[in-house]
Amino acid sequence: MKYGRRTFLGLVATLPLAGCASLATSLNDHPGFHRFLLLPETLDLAILGAGQPLAREYRPQDISPDFRANGFDPPSDPEYRRWSRNGWRGYRLVVDGLVRLPRSYDLAMLRHAFIRRTQITRHDCVEGWSVIGEWSGVRLADVLNDCGVRPEARYVVFHCMDTDGGGTYYYESLSLKQAAHPQALLAYDLNGKPVPIKNGAPLRLKVPTQLGYKSAKYVKRIEVVAALGGPLGRGGYWEDQGYEWYAGI
Amino acid sequence: MTRTPAKMIYRHPVAVRLTHWLSALALIILAMSGMQIFNAHPALYTGDASTFGHPVFSIGARQASDGTPVGFVQVGSHVIRTTGVLGYGPDGVGGMSARAFPAWATIPAYQDLADGRRWHFFFAWIFVICALIYAPWAVRLLPSRNDLRALPAALREHLPPWRVKPAPRLNPLQKVTYAGIVLVVAPLVILSGLALSPAVDAWAPWLPQLFGGRQFARIWHFGAMLALMLFFVVHLVMVALTGLTNNLRSMITGWLRVP
Repeated sequence: MKYGRRTFLGLVATLPLAGCASLATSLNDHPGFHRFLLLPETLDLAILGAGQPLAREYRPQDISPDFRANGFDPPSDPEYRRWSRNGWRGYRLVVDGLVRLPRSYDLAMLRHAFIRRTQITRHDCVEGWSVIGEWSGVRLADVLNDCGVRPEARYVVFHCMDTDGGGTYYYESLSLKQAAHPQALLAYDLNGKPVPIKNGAPLRLKVPTQLGYKSAKYVKRIEVVAALGGPLGRGGYWEDQGYEWYAGI
Repeated sequence: MTRTPAKMIYRHPVAVRLTHWLSALALIILAMSGMQIFNAHPALYTGDASTFGHPVFSIGARQASDGTPVGFVQVGSHVIRTTGVLGYGPDGVGGMSARAFPAWATIPAYQDLADGRRWHFFFAWIFVICALIYAPWAVRLLPSRNDLRALPAALREHLPPWRVKPAPRLNPLQKVTYAGIVLVVAPLVILSGLALSPAVDAWAPWLPQLFGGRQFARIWHFGAMLALMLFFVVHLVMVALTGLTNNLRSMITGWLRVP
């Protein structure tokens, strides 16, 4: 009898919750209602994206002992492995699309032909955890200016070398305004050493004002475009899985 | 003995009733979608960054020596077995799996961080809009010095709680409780939630610092949610004990019958 009463009280407590969960889940699976749930993203972008405030920069003693990596396994193609073994000789970052002068850069050019920027910023994963690291690299805006963005351009797409289990490549995108943020960095060093492979070697994007998935790793091509959509999907690998394109929250 | 006829009074204006039900709905959905989000990394830390090996609180699963999965809740150095409910429980698609909060407590029921976030940020807006509309009534909940002086007597009147009679005005114990929830816990849950956003933190770097860092803000956010849920349970019990239909009618039509 005692067991019966406990079960009964348990059901009284959990059934209303289970009812809510199951009702909400069926609404979640309804395409019309799901579109409704996407509405706040536009509002959030309009409010939080209205300016370009700087993310807080931390002190050296705040740096996390290990910069946790998330996402896919490092790129597995033979070319990437060959580059990683010979100090990234052969790797070039390509910048093309709606630019006056499409160019490509090797790591030495990125390290020496541009001003080196260093920032100690917090990396917030969409899962909820945070790590702090010191990133050095070139401002994304400096590279884009070097190629000359054409007036009809609106977005910058980052094509990466890592793939999910099914072979789909990672990619991300920023608006031109977000790409002009002074802390939007193409980083080649983490904590004073070349970016480790697990953290996106040889070059990764770092956008400290948005969640970690916007900071694409293993970047090999930057494409400047007029619009997202079509073959560019919703503007990113995780965006195509239902995550927000604007990852400021 | 003469019985005075019951009197109907207009207790709750329409804005209060509307924001009451809307924020009740929003808070339930926020708690359940929040647990979905929490499941993506069910661990809490102090400070700005995560110290992965040493969370102050975590919900997890491990294998017992005979290979069966065990769910647990860890608080500091204490570990409590919670198999079947927390750490290891129903996955929402007919099986059991390692997940912090069980399928029946999360929105959506199955594991889906992207959609959990969509629900959370939609109903966060509903809750904030309710809070703004309700603000003029919220300030009236501030207990006066007389209310605080009358608090011990009001506490005695609540023993046992079913002896409490419907009244045209809030009693001091109600005032203090509602003020705590509306003026302390609700702003806390909203602000600590905002402190988790990297973009909000760029606009207001003082906000996460107010809570002891971004990860510490998760503790505040989680704790404020627990306080709201505790209030919710006590509130429902008191509504039921002090005249369920009369109380429900007053929050639906506005009219309360007082003796």
